[in-house]
Amino acid sequence: MTGRRGGRPLVPAYLSTGGVARPSRPQLERLTVLSGSGELAPAGLPAAQLALLDALRGGSLTVMEAAALLELPVSAVRVLAAGLVDRSLVLARAPIPPAERFDPDLLKRVADGLRALKHN
Amino acid sequence: MTELPDLVVGALGAGTLSALVLGAGLLRSRRQRALQREEIAALRDRLDGVQAALAAEVEHLAAQRVPAAARQLTHARVAVPGPAQPQFIGSPLGIALENVLNSLRSELSAQRTRIDAAAQAGMRGATREIQAALYRLQDALRTLQQRYDDPELTQTLFALDHENEQSLRRAQVAAVVCGAWVGLAREESHLVEAVTGGQARLAGYHRVRVHNHLEAGTALVSHAVEPVAIIVAELLDNALRHSAPDTDVVVNLEHVHHGACVTVDDAGLGMTQDERDHARRMVAGSDPILLTDLGDPPRMGFAAIGRLTRQFDLGVDVSSPSPYGGVRAVLRIDSHLLSRIDPEQQPPAASAPRSTRGASAPTRSPAPTHSYGSERDERAVADVAGHQAVPDAGGLPRRRRRTPVTAPAAPAVPEARLPERRPEEAAAALGALQSGTAAARAASEGAGAAVGETAVVPEAVAAHDIDQNDYEGGAAR
Repeated sequence: MTGRRGGRPLVPAYLSTGGVARPSRPQLERLTVLSGSGELAPAGLPAAQLALLDALRGGSLTVMEAAALLELPVSAVRVLAAGLVDRSLVLARAPIPPAERFDPDLLKRVADGLRALKHN
Repeated sequence: MTELPDLVVGALGAGTLSALVLGAGLLRSRRQRALQREEIAALRDRLDGVQAALAAEVEHLAAQRVPAAARQLTHARVAVPGPAQPQFIGSPLGIALENVLNSLRSELSAQRTRIDAAAQAGMRGATREIQAALYRLQDALRTLQQRYDDPELTQTLFALDHENEQSLRRAQVAAVVCGAWVGLAREESHLVEAVTGGQARLAGYHRVRVHNHLEAGTALVSHAVEPVAIIVAELLDNALRHSAPDTDVVVNLEHVHHGACVTVDDAGLGMTQDERDHARRMVAGSDPILLTDLGDPPRMGFAAIGRLTRQFDLGVDVSSPSPYGGVRAVLRIDSHLLSRIDPEQQPPAASAPRSTRGASAPTRSPAPTHSYGSERDERAVADVAGHQAVPDAGGLPRRRRRTPVTAPAAPAVPEARLPERRPEEAAAALGALQSGTAAARAASEGAGAAVGETAVVPEAVAAHDIDQNDYEGGAAR
């Protein structure tokens, strides 16, 4: 499994983004779905961005999942992902909202209205 | 009775004779005494001279030679002057005075060692406490980093974490110089992680470029991890300190015969001869370390390296100039301190530069290991990529992290994957559909009637849907 050692991480999180914590685009949320755009990574990409690209190579991941996989805080992954989206190496999709049940009252009223129309 | 004058004459004669004899004796003794007196005077003069010389010599010993000998212990360049009067050189007195100096030296250095050991013990205790407190602070900061992802707060947390790392480095190095243990037990880790971890402890970590030429999975045994991180941090600190702020410090990780090497090159001016000698002496770790030798403010970096190299059997060399112009520092790690970690099971930290070695890294086949949203047959791809879902010991399938696989000899099955659509494109297409529908409806409802709304067709779709566009034009007319 990827779950690994406990203990104190040797490499602190700020190193992954070079100390930057403000993402270049604000709309990335915890559940934003990231997927690789399939473009070849240019040379000289920072190691952490490469690692994120690698993680996305296998399919889409939410920001949260990518953070867990890379063992980085979500905030750092947002910075990394924003940088990759800027270079159009990664595509970001807004989180899929959870489906909601329709209000039964509303459905009933719609049905009543339809029946009323039919009888007219 | 005639005998009487004879007797008198005889007695007189004898008396005269004896008087003469006595007189001569007296004269002689007087002359002798005079001689003796002269001799005594001369001797007394000489004695006075010698006494004065002795006093002057002892005075010289006290005023010049003893302070010089004491100072020589801390400043090796100070020369101890010889006797003031050359006649004492090699004389018993000269030798005795030399012995005075020698015992003074040995007593002084013994005192110095004792005092230094006491100071070190005090400092060890203090830094140990500080180090533990800073580790607790680090834990708190990292928990906060995990919990909150507000960018402003994160920026502060990152800055604090970095400050904390730097303080931690100082406390740890001081503790190590004072003979303490490194203060943290780590697990077996990738060598590149230890190097990157050391890099993160410095203020100028942005300027460090790490090139990892090691085989993936090259790791350090647990007890060598923290020492290597400390040594790398100190070498990097020295490199950053001795080079201009707009130059990079280059780190290369390579395999060498019987081990691995971490080479730190800076493009600075290099160290002066004095600094170089000091560094070489300290790094060798053969002399006992005294706090008083480290200067003010104490330069602890190389002393700490010296302690660690001796304790952990590591090799550090700082004597060669770098081809970039500055200093080249080389840390050699023998193979008995190296081990292997499966990079799949336990990949190095995300920020650690990946290996440049072999074709493994870039030719990774895009195999979904945690896929949703991809419509391919996972098993087929997994077979191609050369890794299957491995059943766990518990019988459950185990998700594995992406495997670095070399490209298969035969060309892989071509990816039958639809080209990804950008969200903007999708929005444009849907918008076009909507507006097209609206336009058609409006047109069919009232032929000549004015349409209330003019639907805007995104340009992206305009090229595709010429018909609609025409229709739109008609409707607007």
